[in-house]
Amino acid sequence: MSRQMESQGPDMGRILHRETHSSRAVVATTAAVLVIALAAYGLLEAAVHAFGQPAWLIEPQVAAERLVALPAGISPLLLGAIGAVLAMFGLVFFLNGVLPGRRARHLVRGGGDAAGPAVVVDDEVIASSLARRARLAANVTPEQVTVVVSQRQVVVNVRPTSGVPVDHDAVLNAVQSELGGMALDPTPEVQVNVAPSGVIGA
Amino acid sequence: MNSTPTLLNRVLIALLGLVLIAVGALLMLLAAVPAVASWWHSWSPGVWNQVNQAFNATRFPGRGESWLWIVVALALLVLIGLMVAWVAQQGKGRANLLAFEYDPGEVPGDVRIGGGVAEQALKHALANRPDLAGATVTTYDVKGSPALKVRLLPRQGVAPHLLADEVYALVAALEQVVGKRIPVLIHIGAGARTRFSRAERVR
Repeated sequence: MSRQMESQGPDMGRILHRETHSSRAVVATTAAVLVIALAAYGLLEAAVHAFGQPAWLIEPQVAAERLVALPAGISPLLLGAIGAVLAMFGLVFFLNGVLPGRRARHLVRGGGDAAGPAVVVDDEVIASSLARRARLAANVTPEQVTVVVSQRQVVVNVRPTSGVPVDHDAVLNAVQSELGGMALDPTPEVQVNVAPSGVIGA
Repeated sequence: MNSTPTLLNRVLIALLGLVLIAVGALLMLLAAVPAVASWWHSWSPGVWNQVNQAFNATRFPGRGESWLWIVVALALLVLIGLMVAWVAQQGKGRANLLAFEYDPGEVPGDVRIGGGVAEQALKHALANRPDLAGATVTTYDVKGSPALKVRLLPRQGVAPHLLADEVYALVAALEQVVGKRIPVLIHIGAGARTRFSRAERVR
């Protein structure tokens, strides 16, 4: 990856990292909107209070006194449920921020020439391309082949037509040659499963 | 490829998550553990009294209201402004110019080539391909230098590496026209349009 990138400019490695990892823009916007909504409510109550008007929903003093008295004044079940929901949302935000956030994408090194383009491919596209090769090698219909592409593994499931055996090694070789042409980074391992039972009338 | 502040996003999201987890855990413990409830009763009234005193000490002369409320309102306004600024940072980074250089020729002046040149040319070249359900080309400003992002939506079963090579040949031709090497990112993706379209049978 880095070898190829240096010839193109100093920032291609960074661009590729940003393309294969989530930017968390959606979660960030959600979080910002949440904070804005809370702050807007607080602003309203503070401004209303500063001008000596009656509060809109609840007097800040009353709210604070209720908070101080907390386990009393509310059913423990409701309080625990509110706490659990808040903690759950917090966990979602926290994990979104902390986990690597890798997207289901691979880099394609493309033909081996160093000046080539930087190519990022969705795993779904890889899967449909491999499924086509596997289908041709196994001589079955598209519905009989499913391909699952993950970061380090490609699983090809083939359900043969009843009475027509499927050559396991032929499918494996076809998929591997297609993967070799793509030269993915990180390179996944191929696993071909031929189902023991066949499909009738395909 | 855009200039979304990913590190800032991660830090702020994790921070908000931690705060929410802390509040939620406190509420759950208050509801479930009596010891926590008694600690809360011994700790929180003191804090509340201090806050109350602060508000009482800062009343407007002659009126019942504290000017601390205005401070609170201003602080919340600043917070809202910061949040809006944060949202505005997401997905920024589009550029208009593909090349801008001083022309050392006889005519004085600069040469500027707009990003629309590349975008229109590549889009037009890719428009009638049967193996593509769609293509978009955008110019981005990556740390001060322009870069192209070509997003392709191939139909099902198209080999991505062959497609990338063909598209890069187009980009190389464009580079010859512009007279400058342009960093190019080709993103071959899948979307609803490719998922529900029929497989490409010709290739």
